Amino acid sequence: MVTKSDTESIQVEIVPNRYLMPATAQSLLNEIYENGGIIRIMIHGPNLPRSVPYGPGKGAPIEENRNLLIEVGGQAFELSVNVGRIRLELESEKYFDGLKAACERALPFSFQIRRGKFFHTHPTLTDYAKFGKVEDTRILGLIDPKAKKDRLAILSEEKVTINDKEER
Amino acid sequence: MAYTPQYYPGSTSVGINRRKHMSGNLEKLRDISEADIVATMGHRAPGADYASTHPPLKEMGEPDCPIRQIVAPTPGAAAGDRVRYSQFSDSYYFGPSVPYWRSYYGSINCKGCDPGTLSGRQIIEARERDIEAYTKKIMDSEMFDPALAQMKGCTVHGHSLRLQENGTMFDMLARTEMGKDGNVYQVKDQVGIPLDKKLNLGKPMSEAEAKKRTTIFRVDGVSMHGKVGARKYDEAVEALHHMWELRSKWGYRPE
Repeated sequence: MVTKSDTESIQVEIVPNRYLMPATAQSLLNEIYENGGIIRIMIHGPNLPRSVPYGPGKGAPIEENRNLLIEVGGQAFELSVNVGRIRLELESEKYFDGLKAACERALPFSFQIRRGKFFHTHPTLTDYAKFGKVEDTRILGLIDPKAKKDRLAILSEEKVTINDKEER
Repeated sequence: MAYTPQYYPGSTSVGINRRKHMSGNLEKLRDISEADIVATMGHRAPGADYASTHPPLKEMGEPDCPIRQIVAPTPGAAAGDRVRYSQFSDSYYFGPSVPYWRSYYGSINCKGCDPGTLSGRQIIEARERDIEAYTKKIMDSEMFDPALAQMKGCTVHGHSLRLQENGTMFDMLARTEMGKDGNVYQVKDQVGIPLDKKLNLGKPMSEAEAKKRTTIFRVDGVSMHGKVGARKYDEAVEALHHMWELRSKWGYRPE
């Protein structure tokens, strides 16, 4: 019998029952950040384009979707999606209960939280086409494979890199 | 005895609402001005003349046709207006009308229109002044709710997504906004071009009210089977099975 190590990382998905406004998303992400133990995190939801993508009004600016700045852990970045789902990897199981409590504190409505496997471990063909040989496997599963350009915000202790200059 | 059309079977609230939509016997809930409807549709500026594709029928000298003598043209057709559209999208979260029922409403109650049903949206095309009148009727009635139904000429997705935090349907182009006074305001026309001023669409329905007025069967609302645990299914299911049987066995041609 194989005994599982209690320091093994776990993957968690949080699905609120409503799409979050930027202020709520910020408070939720900060609560999650303060809980600690995060290896990587992805926020997911419908795209918020900066201008009308097609139709008779193509190109008209959408001011409501611009400058949706939120600050997480002291670092500011711009939201390009309406947050509807958060997937994250935690260092170990001991952070899970704290994460659940953090969601309960930050979300004014119900939500689902579940454990599972949400990030892929081997590079796909799309990953290879976008990045070539992937050195840091933590990046796998963090990027929308259908996005025309890379859409990725890396928050680290040193700097913030936002690679989202796409204007559709 | 005068004939009363029977539109839809079933005794559930959804069945009753579906009958109401098809018969056109709808409750008026709000009064949005014609100018606001025209601005939201975005085909012409409010107060501007109607563009035409042909001269008025009276000036054209129509051929001698018995059908043309029987059928009176709609005001838009008589004037030679362009064909224009309005398109609605309804949330799955107890939106007031499902696309098929908007089409039934159009086919039965709106003369000279061309309804089109898609998975999450419904478009009605008609002559310009006709479609404006039909759209006003729809938006003033219980077939519309500022939060759970929106006029979306393009980028319609939102109908199958969760609601936003303020209870409105997600809209990528942010055509409406929830005001601090609780009213929903239309800030862009149906294709996402900003309007000169905000148009008040009124207050959204409460969740209980939306559930009462919806035409969507949902397992967490009113089931198509009728009362859960009942020994006999609602008539809507029996009628559906009957139609399915006829279609499958005889292709609607029982001979």
